[in-house]
Amino acid sequence: MASDGESKRLKDDQGHYLDAGFWRAVWVMAVISVVLMAVVVAYPIDPWFLPEASTTSVDIDKLFKFSMFFSVPILVFVNGFLIYFAIRYRRRPEDPDSAIGSQIHDHRALETWWTVVPAVLMVTLAVLSYFVIPEYYPTGQAAASAVTMEAIGHKFYYEFRYPGLRNSVMNDAHLPIGVPVTMDITSLESSQDVNNEAVIHSFWVPEFRIKQDMVPGMVVPLHFTPRETGTFRIVCTEFCGLGHSHMWGKVIVDSRSDFDKWYADQKRSEQAEAKGVQPISLAPGDAGAGQTTFNAKCVACHKAAPFEQKLVGPGLGNLFHDPSHPNLVTGKPATPANVADIIEHGAHGDMGTMPPMQVNGLSQKDVANLVAYLQTLHK
Amino acid sequence: MSVADLGHVRTGHIHPPPDTFVKKYVFSLDHKVIGVQYFITSGLFFVLAGLLAELMRAQLTGPNNHVLSVATYNEAFSVHGSAMVWLVTIPVLTGAFGNLIMPLQIGARDVAFPWLNMVSFWMFPPAGILLFGSFLFGAPQAGWTEYPPISLQMPFGTSMWCMAIFLIGVSSTITGINFLVTIVKMRAPGMTWTRMPLFVWATGVTAFLSFIATANLSAALAGLFIERTFGVPFYDPAKGGSPVLWQHVFWFYSHPAVYIMILPAFGIVSEVLPTFCRRPIFGYKAIAYSSVSIGLLSFMVWAHHMFTSGLQHWEQFAFMALTMLIAIPTGIKIFSWLATMWGAKIHLCSPLLFVLGFLSTFTFGGITGVLLASVPVDIHEHATYFVVAHLHYVLFGGSMFGIFAGLYYWWPKMTGRLLDERLAKLHFWLMFISFNATFLPMHWIGLHGMPRRVATYDPIYASTNLFVSISAFVLGLSFLIFAYNALRSAKQGEVAGPNPWGGRTLEWMISSPAPYYNFDEIPIVLSGPYDYGKPLPYANIKPELATVPTH
Amino acid sequence: MASHAATADDALYTEVAGQRLLGFLFFLISDCVIFGSFIFVYLYIRNASPVWPPAGVERPGLYLAAVNSIVLFGSGATMHYAMEAIRRANVRRFTAFTVATIILGCMFLSGQAYEYTHLHDTWAGSTFGASFFTLTGMHGFHVFIGVIFLITVLVQTLRGTYTPMRHFGLTAATLYWHFVDVIWVALFFLFYVY
Repeated sequence: MASDGESKRLKDDQGHYLDAGFWRAVWVMAVISVVLMAVVVAYPIDPWFLPEASTTSVDIDKLFKFSMFFSVPILVFVNGFLIYFAIRYRRRPEDPDSAIGSQIHDHRALETWWTVVPAVLMVTLAVLSYFVIPEYYPTGQAAASAVTMEAIGHKFYYEFRYPGLRNSVMNDAHLPIGVPVTMDITSLESSQDVNNEAVIHSFWVPEFRIKQDMVPGMVVPLHFTPRETGTFRIVCTEFCGLGHSHMWGKVIVDSRSDFDKWYADQKRSEQAEAKGVQPISLAPGDAGAGQTTFNAKCVACHKAAPFEQKLVGPGLGNLFHDPSHPNLVTGKPATPANVADIIEHGAHGDMGTMPPMQVNGLSQKDVANLVAYLQTLHK
Repeated sequence: MSVADLGHVRTGHIHPPPDTFVKKYVFSLDHKVIGVQYFITSGLFFVLAGLLAELMRAQLTGPNNHVLSVATYNEAFSVHGSAMVWLVTIPVLTGAFGNLIMPLQIGARDVAFPWLNMVSFWMFPPAGILLFGSFLFGAPQAGWTEYPPISLQMPFGTSMWCMAIFLIGVSSTITGINFLVTIVKMRAPGMTWTRMPLFVWATGVTAFLSFIATANLSAALAGLFIERTFGVPFYDPAKGGSPVLWQHVFWFYSHPAVYIMILPAFGIVSEVLPTFCRRPIFGYKAIAYSSVSIGLLSFMVWAHHMFTSGLQHWEQFAFMALTMLIAIPTGIKIFSWLATMWGAKIHLCSPLLFVLGFLSTFTFGGITGVLLASVPVDIHEHATYFVVAHLHYVLFGGSMFGIFAGLYYWWPKMTGRLLDERLAKLHFWLMFISFNATFLPMHWIGLHGMPRRVATYDPIYASTNLFVSISAFVLGLSFLIFAYNALRSAKQGEVAGPNPWGGRTLEWMISSPAPYYNFDEIPIVLSGPYDYGKPLPYANIKPELATVPTH
Repeated sequence: MASHAATADDALYTEVAGQRLLGFLFFLISDCVIFGSFIFVYLYIRNASPVWPPAGVERPGLYLAAVNSIVLFGSGATMHYAMEAIRRANVRRFTAFTVATIILGCMFLSGQAYEYTHLHDTWAGSTFGASFFTLTGMHGFHVFIGVIFLITVLVQTLRGTYTPMRHFGLTAATLYWHFVDVIWVALFFLFYVY
């Protein structure tokens, strides 16, 4: 490439740029890097991130920390050299107009290093990641020992089906600690999609570090073992419509005995239901308590304003007194019993779906209070 | 190329000089006028899409806000994303900079097909009108990715979105073909591949990506459109189609599109650095060939956007590994740019400041990109604010900083006048600081469980979101400084002269703004463009212009 | 644009034709990508579907398609001979072969129209119909454009626009016609054989 004389000059040139100031700057950057890398390794992860509530989350966080560990020096050195060079080599006022910088075009060794080192890092990260993937997608053995349940995404709530329970559980999933679970993740079955509302949702429990899109027509098993008791949020991360922002569920990780108790309760209520359902008694409804419940829950989708002021659903301020909308979404007249029926069982209309009362965490008492409150409104 | 060939002077394409206003400024065939038309049009769309972003941040100042209704908020983020990608970043980097600079840098009088160039520009404003007009018919709500089935259930606006992006796609395919032919066939005599300026390399690879990947986008959009309009089952699971299929065909375009949006910015960086460092660029071939390898790799990584969509494990692993490969050529570029500053004679002017900002923010975005490439980590971070932060670090911190570096750098070539340096520096610092203040905290709330595309959020994120919103308003204001500076330069800007920065590429060897035919005589290129310290490597250049004065 | 060719010298014509040829090749590649994208869609849905073709859908008959394929490939051959003829400046021979190509192209289109009207499946009817009608329809549209393209260059040739040295339009038309043939090979295999 260059003549002998020129390459010798370039050699001198190179020596010239590796002066004491350069090494001082390198030392400063190295010290900052080491300190930050030590912080990444040593600092407990909980205050920075969410609790690690599943066994998988521990390994995923290790990967994250490993990536941070090697990213920190890269960031420090890139930004450090950027600042150092910009100051050290800026043009001085005494420099002539024609002053030029170094003539070094290439440097084989340097270029080899900055190709090989990132390549090694990437290979390491890929290999490490490869070993974590099977932890949340069950392989034969892991799946065999696990309890299998289903999670189904709806507009805009989660349905959970437990083995041995006839009724689904809405939004709040209970799981026992330490028991491996395989959760079959899907969306509303496309064969049942009569109202054209099967969409992609997502099942994400940040504390578990796992996420799976709920795709209509596809069932993807997800594997995890809860390792901390507590209540953790389920968040929908795949845009699913007007209620997406509020599509939150809960995973309640119980001790084994608490979980068994909850499961037994579910069983019992199923048996009671099989014997005959009692309609909700509206008589003791308390409008004041209803207003509190309305402002805590219903305002996510409804305003206490005329019908036209829609959020996700219509405004309910005129529910019982609206001559232009005498009938409810179910087609029935707006009587207290029919309104209670919608709050209890949910409804479907052209604006979307209102979930049943379990999803909204309402008791029968709450329903009665809400109906009483709605009757007091007249706007 | 032999000496005899060098003597061959091409006449190039001859289109008669325009004589009417319409021919000169509206349906112009001149690549420079078309470039400016792209700038003005995208600038307008940038303001609109930016205002949408500010509206979104207003809604997100607190939880359960009602600044926008939920539906309007969804429309806002969908149109914001679509417009920023297709109406701003891609047209500015290819249509505007590509048109304005590339033919000058290769010593051509125009692009290969001037008439197609004009047609391709005139597809662009109608596309923008369709996209923003969709607000009147129920704008798309499912984000810029428009995943079915939900995009199949939305009102007519989503079909308008399909038409708008289809038009942009066709326009971008035509431009891609046009540019690649221009670069392959119309370089000045003596300009071998390795004597091309690096911006031309970047534009060439981008053009290749444009006409391959964008054709695929057109097919995907046509599929979505006919499914929405005629019920033809491709993506609807209820009729036997597959929603994940859309994700495959969409990302097969949209991952290369990420590089369509960043490679020209890389090119701008590679032009600005040697000029303001007054030294040859370090690792010319490494930078050029890494652009090519990034371009090729970009076709093989699309499914890393789909790690949570239910891929097979081997697919996840393969796409993870290929994605990580891209980090290597990208790293080579960043390190070569840094090495260019080593031992330089740095003139810290505004274009270089934006390049330094680019290097800092893009490196950060690249590193979070590596974090997202690792499948298990991505499983946690996918579709959260972490991703929002990452994509803005590469598209705003990368492409936008690159665009402004290019604007400040080539403004004198476009207009003949300089922008005010003090205002430019103020713009840079305000933009750089408020950019980081806006997007850095988003990583944090994403990791903590805030999903993207939500109109409200858990109150635990309230204080961070308020901070982000305030920073975003400041970020919005920073562009006003540029707008003022640009308007001011028209009257009070210092007259630039042919070569205000001391550049050595061919566009600085002609007067500013460039004359109608660019070059009276087609220049002859004798060696590479960045050899500071050696005589200029051009023949057939007007001697009074062929100097490297400094500013 | 043709006026450039008429006024500039042969060297310039060659240079410009070279640019146009490259541009046209790039256009064909991007067109290929569009077909490839829809073929990917077809194969993906086919692969994801438990039975193929979907229940209640009948594949179109092989017989008619085979005849149609022979017609189209025959037109490829006549096109080739037409191009050979113009290289030897034999306009009469060129005209004969081009007219034959146009007729064969029209025959192919009529065959396709017959097939469309006698199928039970519809465009929106099944996932098979969706891909079948989209891809063959797109291809048929390309053949239609090709026929118009050929008629145009035929008229231009008779008017004397092209010479043995200057015939970019003819080259493009030939390339296009062969391209359409090649696409049909893929479609025939996918929909009637595989």
